Amino acid sequence: MLSIPMPTIIQPRDERTQPARIVAGYPQTPLRNPRQPLVKRSPTLSELSGPLEAARRVKLLGGDIAGHGDKQAIGQLIHLKVRVLDEDGAPVGGTLVEMWQANAAGRYLHPNDDDHAPPDPNFYGAARLVTDESGRCELRTVKPGAYPVPTRDGWWRPPHVHFSLFGKVWLSRLVTQMYFPGEPLNGQDRILNAVPDTAARESLVARYLPPTGDPHDALVFEHQIVLRGRAATPVQP
Amino acid sequence: MMIPTGEATIGPFFPPRYVDQGANDLTMFDGRKAKGEAIWIRGRVVQEDGAALENLIVEIWQPDADGIFRHPADPRHARADPDFLGWGRAATDDKGGYVFRTIMPGAPEGRAPHINFMLMFSGLMRILKTTLYFEHGMDVVLLAVPASRRELLMAKKQGPGSYRFDIRLRGENETPFFGD
Repeated sequence: MLSIPMPTIIQPRDERTQPARIVAGYPQTPLRNPRQPLVKRSPTLSELSGPLEAARRVKLLGGDIAGHGDKQAIGQLIHLKVRVLDEDGAPVGGTLVEMWQANAAGRYLHPNDDDHAPPDPNFYGAARLVTDESGRCELRTVKPGAYPVPTRDGWWRPPHVHFSLFGKVWLSRLVTQMYFPGEPLNGQDRILNAVPDTAARESLVARYLPPTGDPHDALVFEHQIVLRGRAATPVQP
Repeated sequence: MMIPTGEATIGPFFPPRYVDQGANDLTMFDGRKAKGEAIWIRGRVVQEDGAALENLIVEIWQPDADGIFRHPADPRHARADPDFLGWGRAATDDKGGYVFRTIMPGAPEGRAPHINFMLMFSGLMRILKTTLYFEHGMDVVLLAVPASRRELLMAKKQGPGSYRFDIRLRGENETPFFGD
């Protein structure tokens, strides 16, 4: 008998677990977010399907972005162990994960970043990976630096890593950011703190793992990302 | 039940290589041509004050020329065009313009021909989702939109195989966006 993959159900999220759209002190947000109420719809096949093979459309970039030898990036070497799950807690394997971050000085390799922090010629700062069957992927990188946001009142972004993920259906697409534990700037970051629910906010912070085995050449962090969607319960005959 | 991870803005500094060359051309996949009518979709994205938005990411998802999605949730997916992925990505230029080359989608069951859009940008804490249509018709998603705003989801034909779909994030004639 053919195995027919379980369809995905998407339910509305608890809004308190998601960021406000308009954020005080983030001056672009009031100009760019809809004034009209968002239209409610019942998802159809079109939204409950989605690109499973986006990784075949983009160029994959390896997960070791810290470099080696005399090409090693400056900064604190870290291993980031990422796991991608759905709302049932089931691993989401084979999905494209795109990550990018500033260098250790807080500078992006991007033409629009005119911050004064120095670029690092050995750090491009982006990876594109596909999760394995257990929903895992791993990044070897350097810890990103904090950087000032060009607002008048001196807001600094804490160290963070950007994530873009696909999942199984169009409505599971996610763009998010991951933070580091114990960072003093976390408490005042306007983007992290736009999420009202405390537990949801804390789930955006990676967990530090104590060292195990050799070599102890990097700090290890793990981070879990939950994409929207769960398997539909099969109808009993 | 696990709580879905909170969204955040894509920010202004995603890597330049985030938008791969050719990622906005859905008519070619692995060097082979998708079947169906190739069309252009062009548009301009503006914010409340009318300013054009540069460096904004647009992604689309659609069925093939026969209205079949390349996804196992579609009961017909075994017959989907093997040379059509159905997904593409573009970035806006300094005039707020984006362009996709794609295939005129067929009508999936119960829906009018349409293309799903997502917008990601600095200042957007959440992905914005909308849907392009080619003409008014019986479609459950379109009918969920207040009648007075449905016209804003219609692509405007510019010539043979060429359509325009402008997007206004906020303000007068604001594009309808979906909250799912």
